[in-house]
Amino acid sequence: MRERMRMLALLALVLGLAGPAGAAELDLTLSTGAGKPVSDAVVMVRPDAGHGSARLAGPFVMAQKDTQFQPYVLIVPVGAEVSFPNLDPFHHHVYSFSKAKTFELKLYGQDQTRKVTFDKPGVVALGCNIHDNMAAYIRVVDTPFAARTAAGAAVVRDLPPGPATVTIWHPFLKAPDNEITRRVTLPASGALRLSVSGDLKPSRLQRGAY
Amino acid sequence: MFRRLSTRLTVLYAALFGAVLLVVSLAVFFAISNAAQRQVRNELSATGTVFDQVWSLRSDRLREGASLLSRDFGFREAAATHDAATIGSALDNLKRRMGVDYAFMVDAEGQVAGARFAPADAAAIAKAFDGADDPSGVLLLGGEPYQLVSAPVLSPDLIGWVVFAVKLDDKEMRALERLSSIPLSAVVLHRTAGGAWTASHAPAELMAPAVRRVITDGLKARAMPQVLDLASGRAAALVKPLPVLEPGGGAVLLLRYPLAQALAPYRPLLIIVGLLGVGGLAVVSWGSWLLARGVTRPISELDAAAHRLQRGEEAQVEIAGDDELARLAQSFNAMAAEIREREQKITRLAMHDNDTGLPNRLALERRAEALAEGQGPGAYVCAAGLDRFAHMRGAIGHALAARAVRMVGNRISGLAPACGVARISTDTLSFVIAADDAEAAQAEVQRLLELLEQPVRVDGEAIDVALSVGLSPLAPDAVGQSIERATIALDQARAGRRKLALFDAEAYGDPAANLSLMSSMLGGLASGEFQLWHQPKFDMRAGRISGCEALVRWNHPTRGLITPDLFIPMAEETGHIRALTEWVVGQAIADQRALAEAGHHLDVAVNISGRILGEPDFLDFARKALADAAGRICFEITETAVIENPDVAMAMLAAFADMGVSISIDDFGAGLSSLAYLKQIRGHELKIDRSIVQDVTESQRDALIVRSTIDLAHSLGLKVVAEGIETAEVFQVLAAMGCDHAQGYLVARPQPLSQLFEFLAEDHPRLRNYG
Repeated sequence: MRERMRMLALLALVLGLAGPAGAAELDLTLSTGAGKPVSDAVVMVRPDAGHGSARLAGPFVMAQKDTQFQPYVLIVPVGAEVSFPNLDPFHHHVYSFSKAKTFELKLYGQDQTRKVTFDKPGVVALGCNIHDNMAAYIRVVDTPFAARTAAGAAVVRDLPPGPATVTIWHPFLKAPDNEITRRVTLPASGALRLSVSGDLKPSRLQRGAY
Repeated sequence: MFRRLSTRLTVLYAALFGAVLLVVSLAVFFAISNAAQRQVRNELSATGTVFDQVWSLRSDRLREGASLLSRDFGFREAAATHDAATIGSALDNLKRRMGVDYAFMVDAEGQVAGARFAPADAAAIAKAFDGADDPSGVLLLGGEPYQLVSAPVLSPDLIGWVVFAVKLDDKEMRALERLSSIPLSAVVLHRTAGGAWTASHAPAELMAPAVRRVITDGLKARAMPQVLDLASGRAAALVKPLPVLEPGGGAVLLLRYPLAQALAPYRPLLIIVGLLGVGGLAVVSWGSWLLARGVTRPISELDAAAHRLQRGEEAQVEIAGDDELARLAQSFNAMAAEIREREQKITRLAMHDNDTGLPNRLALERRAEALAEGQGPGAYVCAAGLDRFAHMRGAIGHALAARAVRMVGNRISGLAPACGVARISTDTLSFVIAADDAEAAQAEVQRLLELLEQPVRVDGEAIDVALSVGLSPLAPDAVGQSIERATIALDQARAGRRKLALFDAEAYGDPAANLSLMSSMLGGLASGEFQLWHQPKFDMRAGRISGCEALVRWNHPTRGLITPDLFIPMAEETGHIRALTEWVVGQAIADQRALAEAGHHLDVAVNISGRILGEPDFLDFARKALADAAGRICFEITETAVIENPDVAMAMLAAFADMGVSISIDDFGAGLSSLAYLKQIRGHELKIDRSIVQDVTESQRDALIVRSTIDLAHSLGLKVVAEGIETAEVFQVLAAMGCDHAQGYLVARPQPLSQLFEFLAEDHPRLRNYG
């Protein structure tokens, strides 16, 4: 998994280099009130000036492997098509009752892939009807400026300067809709550092990832 | 404490056995009681453990049921999509299937779906499920404890819980009670806001403070049964804490088991032990009573025999066996026999005269008493005295005299069968005759005397018998006195030289009263009841009153004037004469002084009893008393006084004379006059007795005696005083005969001192003229 993340980071870097020069950057750190770094949170930046035609690039994959969803949190743009490959030698029954997208991928076997298109922004909680311990989240975002925290830190690049709304979401964040919102003014260039703290609800379904 | 030995022994043994029995019974009871309590505790602990498992199983079962629904894909979909109808029907279905009181869903916001609750209960549920993981435990709904079990609804996020609630009511408790091997009772108690423990359906006695304390202790010491005192009795109790959903709330399961019930199976055993004890006690009591009676019966018999012996009855004890008690009985019998023998001997000795073998006075009294009771009036006691017995005894000897008395006695007993005869003194035999009156009695005695006064033959010698008899009526209530009076009558007969005399009470006087008179004499001397009267003496030659004789008078407060003739002889008999004489001497000296101070110098004469002359220390008194005499004191003494104890008396008279006291020989010519003593007495004066003086004018012989006496006295150097001169003729004759002094009514009667003063103040030409 770590390898995959590194690959994604490399991808982002490539995308960043391709973007307009002199763009701003948001360096976010998220920790609990006790100072523990929080992973698997999604940071979304919505500049007041809009985001033009920029768009998060695919492909978007939510694999099932070792009776787990991988990744735990997946960020996809509105309208993205996410494939659900089954890498386990047995069946899974992937479902979601979330408002953003309700679907059901009935029992499918190894190396079979199902695809689902997420056409509304929001949170889609995924479960497997067969395996209770499987859970994952797809965050359908309406902004190209989004990133996931790893070890409590995330970097959002190529941001246009000016005022913007920063939204931080985590499936167990103790906040309305599990979201914390901050207004920031992005500089013309360079990094804006933002430290946010937020406690998590206790849940036995939480991953020990952070 | 116990008067009977057998009772004491029985009680002792029974008490000892009872004490041992009590100890054994108590030991058995406590052993059983402890065993039962231990068993109850063990059972309670075991039941507690079973309960834990049952509770856990039940929770698991409910949770399984809830879980079944909460994991159902369709239900999760309905829950996620808020399909209330589907949720409600699913819960309802499950509620019926599981047989629970409530099945409902609580969402993540604490909202209840699928059941309706009062707002307070809904709030309590919401609070219980706020931020909890699969909550499970006891919660009060509508004031009743419910067991709540929940299962999470994950879709896949936690969107709520499926909750089952089972009421912990009596039915549940009974079901729990049935799980135990002992018949215990279970109840769920919950803590109220005030901290008290209560239950809606529990008995009121569980609201007692003792229960609260047991719960508090029970929560500290888990799984340890305790003892709980309830109104219905003592019980073993086990407190099991129950998980609670309400923060700050509390719920416990209280299992209790009455100890009385625990002991119930042992009751027959205890009853048997008790019955054995009572039976044993009865047997031991009966046995010890038998044993004690065996020991004490001989003792009781001895006790009774001793009492018989005390009353003088036959006192032999039956002897059984040969133990110590039998030997004691043997000794007792021997002792009783000896005592009776001795008693008979003593009785015989007490009742008989030793010399003659005749019954004695005591025996006569006994018989006379019996006779008086039976016969009533008409009996007379006779005291027959052998005349001149002393002479007879002197002549024929003691033994023969006694034999003669016995023979007379036998003769009497042959003639007067009324109650036999008794020897009541050496020469006196007494018997009782029947007679209607004194005359008849005297006649009967006269008749008897003729028969009795026949000579008796002693060793072939005929001895004359002469009897004098005293008679007294037999008083039934005073037999002793009657006998006494008969003897007095005998004395009276002899004094009167008669053969026969009836008791004369008048002649006898009243000796008892006289005795009391003597006892009051000393008091009378001190309190002035006595007085000195003086009878003047006329000096025929000088023609004047030259002296006086002091005579004592007793003015008794109750008996009046008592004559000296009565009290002087009594005083001599009782020894009071010494005190009386001392008083008289002292008073005479005082009176003489009083007279001397008035100018009358008189010689004062005092009569001195012959008794006094036997008491040499009277000299000391006389010496002291006479030291302050104002004139001459004369002691008048009778010749007979000297005759009784001549040597001492003579010495004393000599001592008096040396002291300067005149000695006057009193009553000369009245009694026995011994010229031998007259010669020896160092006298100064001779008083011729009135019995001779009074007839001096009538009888030539008396005149001759008087004249000779006067001449004799004068020739011995004694003055002569004539007593009892009552006529002038006698006075003149005596004066002519040369008599020195005259005393008598013609001169003056005895008179008190005050009158004597008056008498002396007069001149006495009359007396001088006689001369």
